[in-house]
Amino acid sequence: MLAIDKKRLNELLRNMSRDFRVYAPYLENGTGKFAPYREDRELYLEMNTLLPPKDIFFPQTEKMYRFRTAGSALEIEEIEDKKEKQVIFGIRSCDAFSIDCLDKVFLSRGYEDAFYKNKRENTLLVGLACTAAGDTCFCRSMGLNPQEAVGVDLQVLDLGEEWGFEARTAAGEGLLARYRDLLRETDAAPIPTQEFKLKVDVEGVPEKLSRMFDHPMWEEISRKCLGCALCTYLCPTCHCFDVSGKVKGEEGYRFRCWDSCMFSEYTRMAGGHNPRPTKKERVRNRFMHKLCYFVERYGQLLCTGCGRCLAKCPVNMDITAVIRKIKEAEVE
Amino acid sequence: MNEITQKMRETARGLLNSGQVALVLGWEKGYPWYKSAPAFIDRGEDVDRLVFDEFCHNNLSKYLLDLVAVEGRIALFVKGCDSRGINRLIQDNQVKREQLYIIGIPCPGLKDPDDAAGKKQGDEIKDAAKCQDCRYPNPVVYDLLLGEKVPVAKRSSETQALIERLEKMKPDERYEFWAEQFSRCLRCYACRNICPACNCRECVFDRATPEWLGKANNLIENQFMHLTRAIHVAGRCIECGECERACPVNIPLMALNRKLINDIEELFGEEPAGLDPEKKTPLGRFELDDPEKFM
Repeated sequence: MLAIDKKRLNELLRNMSRDFRVYAPYLENGTGKFAPYREDRELYLEMNTLLPPKDIFFPQTEKMYRFRTAGSALEIEEIEDKKEKQVIFGIRSCDAFSIDCLDKVFLSRGYEDAFYKNKRENTLLVGLACTAAGDTCFCRSMGLNPQEAVGVDLQVLDLGEEWGFEARTAAGEGLLARYRDLLRETDAAPIPTQEFKLKVDVEGVPEKLSRMFDHPMWEEISRKCLGCALCTYLCPTCHCFDVSGKVKGEEGYRFRCWDSCMFSEYTRMAGGHNPRPTKKERVRNRFMHKLCYFVERYGQLLCTGCGRCLAKCPVNMDITAVIRKIKEAEVE
Repeated sequence: MNEITQKMRETARGLLNSGQVALVLGWEKGYPWYKSAPAFIDRGEDVDRLVFDEFCHNNLSKYLLDLVAVEGRIALFVKGCDSRGINRLIQDNQVKREQLYIIGIPCPGLKDPDDAAGKKQGDEIKDAAKCQDCRYPNPVVYDLLLGEKVPVAKRSSETQALIERLEKMKPDERYEFWAEQFSRCLRCYACRNICPACNCRECVFDRATPEWLGKANNLIENQFMHLTRAIHVAGRCIECGECERACPVNIPLMALNRKLINDIEELFGEEPAGLDPEKKTPLGRFELDDPEKFM
């Protein structure tokens, strides 16, 4: 396996940043996030970032087009993304799988989202193996391998003193060839991942949930929910957005921005009717989407076990506890 | 099990089994070990879920807004700060005192769950920021008090230290500081939704027509949101610090709230919110001799 001394990783990223726009994990004001590479800053590799990398492909606010009117004429100007080749370095298995989920949403089933596609197809993913499992991590329970990220071009393994690299695609091979000078052969073995403290059995849950829409459990589960969007905005897979506009005089622009099914106005229609009028319907929808609807549509769960919602929810809404409740629930 | 937890369970069991209350709001153990979560107990056999420990952060008074339709009395456990939240809601005509059975817990101060992440039970954990200079650890309103009142410790806090630092800054530097803080806001509204002073039926930020606040996440909209909120809760903030604890990106919201409290107390005399449900808030009434420094 090719490897680099851990102390020289910055050198590799510096070289890479000459050829690509490189995103890597950093700690900013106590918040872990993916940010453009900066030579003078220390990487944050101890734990996963609090903010997932989804905003690199799906920014929280994104302009879509500009318009201008002159009399009865309308002029529309498309906003073109810069097609910049980029690399995201240090994606954990949970977040790599979330990108796979987003690919399904934005690129499959007959419609390709141009904004997402443009960024996605110009991006190489470099996975980073986890050797420690955080208190709220449960990716293994969701069927993922913390040492082997789905869909990445290159997998980085922790060899102790060195970072090891294994290509997973031709593009990954290309990256290794390009920076071959900085790498050396090693026969060191990867450090295995620690035992997970948090485990949950999700077997059979999607099928069971499809019969639990009217179960009284939702009333009880949703009681403590505050109806904020913290869980959905920290979630690497949540991808709902709202389209909105700004108009000034004769011109303006349309933009999209993240929205959350936990907000009461998310399903509020013109005229005021709301098909999800209370927390019960909204909380139910969130769990149904993650654990049932997405599986029905795309054949995979929309929860990757990253544990961010559990770590940060101010009322400790625990998706693993919800899964256990579903397993125990009596269904006709 | 600690003594308070034991008393909580006995009290809740008595209240539910005798039919004196229909529902008990308390806390139960969550996951990981450094999280305790709100618990809704309506059956005597479930009272053993209740706990009190140094991670019982949630101000349960907020849930009273969801429970106006509950028939019968509601019992809830309150720390000092939480109890002021109840007075605030009574002041705003959101709940009726007679519908509540308030069980006070003199609060020894809580621990910071973020500091506990990755640590083991028994390790040294930092005091929660919001508890560092708590002025009212003892409940100010209750029907029953569990345990002995605790002394009020005058301690220095990170929040007051930050306020002092901000007060020494030039206006431009201060602007820069807050611009940096608000630029990372995710607009998840956890701060608003957890706040017992935020009890408008429809929040101005949720209105679509007119759209007072745009949905785009940018510095201008974020600043507008946070400053509007700070001014709106000024004089009504009961210092439970839940906004700052709930914020996932560590915006020091209590520095803003506490600065406004300091100024209100300086201008109108010491009148912390939520002490007296009969008295109007300093910014909610007019007196002929009100200071008019800003005019």
